[in-house]
Amino acid sequence: MAGMLLSNAERFYIWDGVEENFRSDGRSNKDYRPMELETDVVSSASGSARLRLANTDVLVCVKTEIDTPKSDKPGLGSIEFFVDCSANATPEFEGRGGEQLANRISNLLQRAYHSSQAFNLKQLCIFEGKQCWKLYVDILILECGGNLCDAVSLAVKAALFNTRIPFVKAALMDGGNIDLQLSDDPFDSKRLEVGTAPLLVTLCRMDEENIVDPTAEEETCIAVSIVVGVSGNPALYTSSEDTTPSDHKCTTISMSGNGGILPDAMKIVIAEGITAAKCLDEALGRTLLQERNRTNLQKKDSYGFLK
Amino acid sequence: MPLDYRRFNGPEDSVSYKQFSTNFTRSYDELFKGLFDENGKRIDGREFTEARPLYTKTNVISQAKGSAYVELKNTKVVCSVFDPREIVGHQNEYSIYGQIYCEVKFAPFSCPRRRRGLAPDTDERALSANFKTAIQTAIQSTKFRNFQMDVFVYILEHDGACLAAAINAACLALTDAVVPMMDIFSARTAAVINNQIFVDPTEAEENLALMPTDNETNHGIITLTVIDHLRNITDLQQIGSIDADCLIKVIDILLEECAKLMPLFKDLIIDNVFEQYKEHQVYLSIKKQVNEELSNKVKEWTLIVKDK
Repeated sequence: MAGMLLSNAERFYIWDGVEENFRSDGRSNKDYRPMELETDVVSSASGSARLRLANTDVLVCVKTEIDTPKSDKPGLGSIEFFVDCSANATPEFEGRGGEQLANRISNLLQRAYHSSQAFNLKQLCIFEGKQCWKLYVDILILECGGNLCDAVSLAVKAALFNTRIPFVKAALMDGGNIDLQLSDDPFDSKRLEVGTAPLLVTLCRMDEENIVDPTAEEETCIAVSIVVGVSGNPALYTSSEDTTPSDHKCTTISMSGNGGILPDAMKIVIAEGITAAKCLDEALGRTLLQERNRTNLQKKDSYGFLK
Repeated sequence: MPLDYRRFNGPEDSVSYKQFSTNFTRSYDELFKGLFDENGKRIDGREFTEARPLYTKTNVISQAKGSAYVELKNTKVVCSVFDPREIVGHQNEYSIYGQIYCEVKFAPFSCPRRRRGLAPDTDERALSANFKTAIQTAIQSTKFRNFQMDVFVYILEHDGACLAAAINAACLALTDAVVPMMDIFSARTAAVINNQIFVDPTEAEENLALMPTDNETNHGIITLTVIDHLRNITDLQQIGSIDADCLIKVIDILLEECAKLMPLFKDLIIDNVFEQYKEHQVYLSIKKQVNEELSNKVKEWTLIVKDK
């Protein structure tokens, strides 16, 4: 955040803390802040999730629409990400202020979800060459407390996990038209396979140390940060046993900031990014399955301000 | 950049006729086989770790402070750097760093698969942002405080590795514009298809690297920028799905390839300095000659005036 002004003393305090592996809020360099995740918060969306990571608050909603597939990819649906930096988060986002950040995050997500090993678009196909589902993932940033990328990617995966797509029967009619048949029952729907969906991990380089999950204050002291997108393990997102676990692979890497990093350090950063993503993926999978089991039993209580 | 509605942007929902050709509907395996010739080499005769020859030329645009043209076989890129100018408008606070504004633009006719629109699309905006991250570290932005410098890249023809070509062109254009920099930098791209690494991929290889497949092999594109002397990676962009071991292998190969470009750049820069020195010598000799002639004339005239 460019709006945050820190004195040199405060900067040195943060730098020295990182060097001692003891950050200003008591965490070590490899610790995340506590998170709060809630799914199914917006009734008008096909799937939604709200994630609070300390002071960072994001709301993700998935809307589904029927679209015609591209002529060069007849068997694939599509997924698009839109980030809205609300001026509620910081006054800086007012007008077109948040556009650059919004573009950056949506680009990162688009790239991370590009590979078929990260997100299989085949499951969105209704009738090859004619009709497919298009997922609109709308990301609303309600509060900025640092580490937006990670929070957004977690919330997106949770929202996609929560998404229901109605079963559609499609038949080819005379003249090449498509006849779609939809059930009135909202529970006559399928879930998406999102186990492999990638999570983004931001690693910030400070002197010789890499830190994860920087606070807004720490973000102002960083010269260079690397975002690593790592695909998930589908076995963690299902209660059935027959899913084959897959490796965690890098689906995107991007650097930002005015600085460089030595090749050896870069390799460490990538390895640490994958480890961090693995831990996050495990925790997220566990939480989402718990949440789903709870909602299946009874109507859940909502915890956030969205009631 | 706002869209210019007075300009006719062409049809929006037309498709290329090539999509209906038999060549287009080939399957992944056929396309993959099509990348090799009968000797198991790449179709243009290169080894897998062999990059295309690089052609460079500086000072190609006379209006710009510095400019460069870079050619990787069929990838053709022009980059121009304009003088720093004062930041005007809404940002009236003083900034201790100079700003760099980058814009990467594809020519409408540059891509073999489709026509590019005139307005910048999301691809181009993302490319501009990546380009900026890659070059801004090397530039000493404290030397032109509160000023903005514009770097424009125009991709004339796209045959793979256009981000790397743009970054290389920017390095030469910036040195041509005598912008204060830490050091020169260079960039290289590699594609991974079916676990096989292709250094400096062509458009066909890049297309296949990003094509959705059923198999679980590594695929993707990686672009790496490195500052020469400091051996610092200033930008690493990856897309696709690649495991850590393969990624590290690619990074090592790309670092080597980037280092190979450096002597070429240095030669070109030194040549430019020599040429400019020669030009300056010619200028000095002409100046001397003119001055001598003028002083002779002055002597003549003073004699004439005295005689009268």
